[in-house]
Amino acid sequence: MSGGLGLEQRYRRVLRLLPGYYRQRWEEDMVAAFLDSWLTGDPDEDEAIVEFCKPSWAEAASVAGLAARLYLGGAAAPPRYFAWGQAIRRAVLAVTLVHALLAVNVLVFLVWSRRLVGWLPAPPASLVVAPGGVWDMVYYLVCLAWIVIFLTLALGHYRTARVLAALAIVPGLVALLQAQLTGIMPAPFGPWIFWVLVDLAPVLAMTAFHRDAPATAPGPWLLALPAGYVLVYGPLLALQVTGNFAWLPDFSGLCCILVSLACLAHVPRARSRQANGSGVWSLALVLLAAVAGAYRIVTLTDYLHDPHLINVSLAELLIVLAAVALVAPDAARAQAATPAPPPHPHAMAT
Amino acid sequence: MTGQAFFVLTALADGPRHGYGIVGEVAELSQGRVKLKIGSLYGVLDRLTAGGLIEPDREEAHDGRLRRYYRLTRDGRRALAEEAELRAATARVVWARLGLTGPAATGAGG
Repeated sequence: MSGGLGLEQRYRRVLRLLPGYYRQRWEEDMVAAFLDSWLTGDPDEDEAIVEFCKPSWAEAASVAGLAARLYLGGAAAPPRYFAWGQAIRRAVLAVTLVHALLAVNVLVFLVWSRRLVGWLPAPPASLVVAPGGVWDMVYYLVCLAWIVIFLTLALGHYRTARVLAALAIVPGLVALLQAQLTGIMPAPFGPWIFWVLVDLAPVLAMTAFHRDAPATAPGPWLLALPAGYVLVYGPLLALQVTGNFAWLPDFSGLCCILVSLACLAHVPRARSRQANGSGVWSLALVLLAAVAGAYRIVTLTDYLHDPHLINVSLAELLIVLAAVALVAPDAARAQAATPAPPPHPHAMAT
Repeated sequence: MTGQAFFVLTALADGPRHGYGIVGEVAELSQGRVKLKIGSLYGVLDRLTAGGLIEPDREEAHDGRLRRYYRLTRDGRRALAEEAELRAATARVVWARLGLTGPAATGAGG
């Protein structure tokens, strides 16, 4: 039907959300089915439909959902999309792990400073947490939630993790809005960027944990929580207890250092082309470095009054850039050399 | 197997259908409870094709557009029969626990 161009073109515009390989295979079929769902066979009515009607939001949302699943590829996806899907899944797990580590640290300090474990020695005065109000209680609950979110994600309960994470970032947004509206925001951009990059972005990226996503091996991730706490917060705690506060990095600096160390630890695998799946880790590290670098750049504005802290921050930025450059070539190769597994016999029917 | 995939396979059980034909049949089979959007339908069709449970049957011209028909494969027929048996067995357990003899006893008429 020649008059079908209006509605058809509007729908084809929506279909541009889908990857090219998928459109090549399914676009004409989808357009035919879509037009069939609208057209009545009555020439007058159909003319009005094609001229004035457009795809519903629900229809566009179904295409957007399909696009997200295809770009963040799982089983049977082309190598490029599978590599990105895997890299984003690992980056999300890594960010959630950082959240969980922060949460464990907050709860450890709370338990220690309130003397909830009798046999522990009294904490230094600088580490004592004063009793707080309702917001503090909400903060501790959110901390607990992030530990649960990390564990559920690592154990493959993706839907539960998504729902909990979506709820866990709400108090942070409310606190930010309250601080912004009452003029008590501690820094102009840092807290917002933290919320966007470290809270909101991972929650959105949890879309990558869809039905086609290969199962995550939970063992290493579950081990990473206690090991990470000892390796990351052990040295930080030692600095605090000994009063060496000047050596403590801020959170964005800590992120830069952690990503840099992870890149350096990964370099031998990235350089050895036989290492299976190394490219996906390299790609995940590039993503994490981008997040850490962006956060570092924005939080530079917090230190405009202190040239020393600006220099330290720039050094952290340079270190993370140099470290990520070592794994970037492997990340680039991964997009062409990461074959997806075949569909799982049960998952393929979903 | 998700409800959507189960309904799509069931819609193809008695013969090949094209995309919109599947949407209509699924709506009828589910008594209007499952209304597939085109994006969702092709997400399911893509998975079922990749899994070898359905395959293209033929193409027919209609109003200047090609309609592609899909049919169940032998594996698809087997998977659907297994899923139907599983669901029927579950339903029998539910009826037994409720002290009913079947769907008619619930007054659902189905």
